[in-house]
Amino acid sequence: MLVSWELLKNFIDIEPIDLTPEELAERLTFSGSEVEGITYTAGKMRGIVAARIDALEQHPEERKYSIAHLNTGTGEHVCITSAHNMKAGDMVFYAGEGAVLPDGTEMGTRDFAGVKSYGMMLSAEELGLHDVDDPSGLLILPKDARPGDNAASLYHVGDVIFDVSITPNRGDLLSILGMAREIRGLYPKSMLKVPEWMRPLKQDKEWCENFGSISLPDKGCLCYRLGLATGAKMAQSPLTAKIDLAHLGMRPIVNAVDVTNYIMLMLGQPLHAFDLNTLPEREITVRAAHTGEHMMTLDGKDRALTERDMLITSGGEAIALAGVMGGEQTGINDDTSTIVIESACFSPVRVGHTSRRLGINSEAAFRFSRTVDPALSRTALMAATTLMRDWCGAVVDYKPLSAENETYTPKPVKLTRKKLSTYLSWDNMNEAAKILDGFGIVSVGENEFMPPTWRPDITIEEDLIEEIGRFRGYNDTPDKLPGEMPRRADIGSSMELASFIRKSLMARGYTEVVTYSFLPEDFPEKLRLSPDDIRAKTLTLANPISRDQMAMRTTLLPGLLMGLRTAIASGWREPVRIFEQGKIFLKDDEHEHIEPDHAAAILYNGSDTRSPSGNRTEDFYSVKADVEALITARGYEAVFVAGHEPFTHAGQTANVFVGGKNIGYVARLKPAIEQELDVSGVYVFELDVSGLEQAKKPEFTPASSFPASFRDISLLVSIDKSNDNVMKDIRECVSSDGEITLEGLRLFDVYVGKGIPEGFRSLAYSLSYRSHTRTLKDEEVEAIHNNVRESLKQKGYVIR
Amino acid sequence: MPEGLNINAVRASFFEALNSSKTLQELDDLRIKYTGKKGDLTLLLRSLGKLPKEERKDAGQELNALRDEIELQLEQTGKKIRDSENEQQEIHERIDVTLPERGRTCGAFHPVIQTMHEIANIMQGLGYSVATGPEKEEEFYNFECLNMPSWHPARDMQDTFYFPDGTLLRTHTSPVQIRAMLQYGAPLRIVCPGKVYRRDNDTTHSPMFNQMEGLLVDKDVPFSVMKGTLTEMLNAFFGRSLKSRFRASYFPFTETSMELDIECVECSGHDEHCRVCHGTGWLEVAGMGMVHPNVIRAGKIDPDEYNGFAFGIGLDRMAMLKYGIGDLRLLFDGNISYFMSGFGGAAKC
Ligand SMILES: [Zn+2]
Repeated sequence: MLVSWELLKNFIDIEPIDLTPEELAERLTFSGSEVEGITYTAGKMRGIVAARIDALEQHPEERKYSIAHLNTGTGEHVCITSAHNMKAGDMVFYAGEGAVLPDGTEMGTRDFAGVKSYGMMLSAEELGLHDVDDPSGLLILPKDARPGDNAASLYHVGDVIFDVSITPNRGDLLSILGMAREIRGLYPKSMLKVPEWMRPLKQDKEWCENFGSISLPDKGCLCYRLGLATGAKMAQSPLTAKIDLAHLGMRPIVNAVDVTNYIMLMLGQPLHAFDLNTLPEREITVRAAHTGEHMMTLDGKDRALTERDMLITSGGEAIALAGVMGGEQTGINDDTSTIVIESACFSPVRVGHTSRRLGINSEAAFRFSRTVDPALSRTALMAATTLMRDWCGAVVDYKPLSAENETYTPKPVKLTRKKLSTYLSWDNMNEAAKILDGFGIVSVGENEFMPPTWRPDITIEEDLIEEIGRFRGYNDTPDKLPGEMPRRADIGSSMELASFIRKSLMARGYTEVVTYSFLPEDFPEKLRLSPDDIRAKTLTLANPISRDQMAMRTTLLPGLLMGLRTAIASGWREPVRIFEQGKIFLKDDEHEHIEPDHAAAILYNGSDTRSPSGNRTEDFYSVKADVEALITARGYEAVFVAGHEPFTHAGQTANVFVGGKNIGYVARLKPAIEQELDVSGVYVFELDVSGLEQAKKPEFTPASSFPASFRDISLLVSIDKSNDNVMKDIRECVSSDGEITLEGLRLFDVYVGKGIPEGFRSLAYSLSYRSHTRTLKDEEVEAIHNNVRESLKQKGYVIR
Repeated sequence: MPEGLNINAVRASFFEALNSSKTLQELDDLRIKYTGKKGDLTLLLRSLGKLPKEERKDAGQELNALRDEIELQLEQTGKKIRDSENEQQEIHERIDVTLPERGRTCGAFHPVIQTMHEIANIMQGLGYSVATGPEKEEEFYNFECLNMPSWHPARDMQDTFYFPDGTLLRTHTSPVQIRAMLQYGAPLRIVCPGKVYRRDNDTTHSPMFNQMEGLLVDKDVPFSVMKGTLTEMLNAFFGRSLKSRFRASYFPFTETSMELDIECVECSGHDEHCRVCHGTGWLEVAGMGMVHPNVIRAGKIDPDEYNGFAFGIGLDRMAMLKYGIGDLRLLFDGNISYFMSGFGGAAKC
């Protein structure tokens, strides 16, 4: 919110009197209202003064120019303009030779078709006052301006504007009055005061126009008041008011409307002015909307309403969405002369609901949803009618019409020394009472404090402590650490596992990445997942930012592939080895979902594989080694079984089993998907790692003190038979008499080619036999090995 | 000693031959020539029998001593030659050790995840356990239990992603506070790291980012403990003692509420044009406060008996500060080239 230094002075005499805007900003920031910026509206302005146009003549050559003879009190100046809205005798702002505009432009002399112009007369725009006046004409000053006066000190041209971030609990700070009260709390020696236009006004005349009733069947309208102004003349507002409005970010429109905006900015009470003659009937009802009811709001949108919304109606016709937005037909127009001013108070809950649901964040809704002081509606209405008199020349001594429901009344809050001392490590109760008093929270009994009507946020002891805390600041409190442990600190198994996996994979050459949890809506189709695959039934956001970030991921693979794509697009030619850990989102059934922890990686050799030690190429088996290492290091055995995934190479995919459970896959990416990415040879794995959280303790077996004996065997095997199956057969062929065991079985050669029939391959294994009780004799080993050979032959193997 | 069995002559000729031997082959020839089956020394030993009995013993001793000497000399010289040959071979096999390594080089960490683990470890050292919760959350835990009913204006600060069934992506890690209180009761000391989501996307906001929530609930918890905890954590994370300051603020779920600024880690407040703090000298790093009694109550703990504090820090911001990263959005595109090259050594494991 924007706060004006000049306008604050209408409400408070700050003590210390030499307080600078910067010091004030710092104090506000530390006490909870962060000042995000300070703007000196005069900018670099220098040497601009008020001047009277003594005489005006047309340029002898160029008819579009006028030559003005200006009086600045210190002499006459000649100045040329192309504007037409001035006449002799008008007062204007004049930037003479050497003067500087707010934006830093320095004035010089300029030749206009043979006539010299010394500096220039200024429009509002050139003074940095946007929206205050017609930018193509000169800014004509009120008659009371005196030649020679410095522009920066006139009409609030040179103000200091604070941009303050107001937290949602402090609706009371959304006005100059509110900020003045806050400053008084922070600087308790300051004196609050009441501006001229807020003084009580005698309003006792009956309305000259008949008006029926105001009825409030909806309790969400706390009170509703109408004031009357007759004989108003629609015109521009006084220059100072226009400049104030512009500095506070609001465009001046016409005096009657400006009055309502001005009062809202000054006091925080949203007001609405309408032309009495445009009301459908001279009656107002504030009621709940009916579900299914529609209304066209001021912004031209048709709004479907529910019974939590509140409507202001007249003669049964909706004229405004209460506290949120008005309707167009009752607005002020150029011919308006009889004005009705609405000053009401609505429930923050109801306005909050409506404005959030419909996405309307009007000035009124913003304030009502943050709570407007219910006691303010009367004072604000009186002030508004006073300004209607001053700015529009209206007659305003009519008695306001009012209707009220039950309204909020503050309740006393207790403050205990114990809690104060616990929270703030400070417990001076007398001092505390003084601090609270500064914020208008008055002592009403033994340690009991009554918050003012504008502080409905103060309801519990902690709220009082916070007032004291933010006044005193938190920086002097000593630093302490908690004492005994309430419970054993546990990093948690999922965090521990995540830490293990990332360290392992980084050491194995993978780079950790984090990608978005939401993916393009069509990612399941891109992965060729069939519609009944659980990974295709995605959880989809109702309000995504874009279609590219819409479906919650059911696999980490698309994110990694996106990483690969961006890496290649950025010119990366080296190998890409990246991994990610994170949650995936699966629909369990209609209402439930689960978020398993996954780990996934991709490996791509890169487009430039040259190296002094020969081409770098890794393949399925490299990634398989990484997966096996991860699982083995957790104390589990990984079993790889030829498998299938819709998005992987039909011939190079293995499912990974741990403890009989399928926890994921290792595979080459489907070549068709590789081609879409314009790469070749992408290897991937993805695992549900939740089963690995509890690391298994390794079992230790002592090394044998007797030597092992080694024998090789070479088998001719159909290419359809997997190595795992062959090894299983070999193990089965070793008679398990207990004493001599097949301790090791290792594949050392795979051969296809000359001498091997089509459809077969040769697999060569090294077997190691060992006894744990003695050294084996050669003949014994030979006998056992021969048995193995014979058994294998019986199983149908051809031994080479 | 018989004629022709001149031991001295045999010794002399052996040493002469030994001195001129340069290879293992020559040595082997020498061994055969002297100690082989038909070697000079063997022949001499065999001829001992021809000697008179009284001479035989002396001559035998003398010959055996000579054989021992020859064998020792052969072994020693053999070792010398082998050593020298190996040395030659090693020089021959010299490589350029500065050629690139074969196989994979080390990977790199993601700064945000690294930060998450670093801070979790620091907090574990302070007695905090890690608690987790779902990322797809219920309105109840994400907002209502945290004193943010649906009409509450504080909701404007958190633009939320919703699912059609009314659930949402958690906008902060705070709902884990409630879940942990309900699960473990008091006293309690936890941190909850994880991803959070808000419907924002510009140069300073990413729709997904990472937070860590901290919660301590116990009897008579003073503000000074929260202050000490935060200071300790930040000092440990940045590895030095940083100036810090607390500013009053507002969060619906804490009362009293404040924000913590630390001195700029880039310039310590000495650079007017600092790109990190924009010349203010301070960086906003955490929001915190004493837990609101309503929130304690929502966790089914009696606020008259227990109180506590909670804090939330942005892990992405912490990572950006510690590792000097400029643009938040670069962190989530999975592009390896950024971490491996843009970062230099910092991210290498
Ligand atoms: Zn800095």
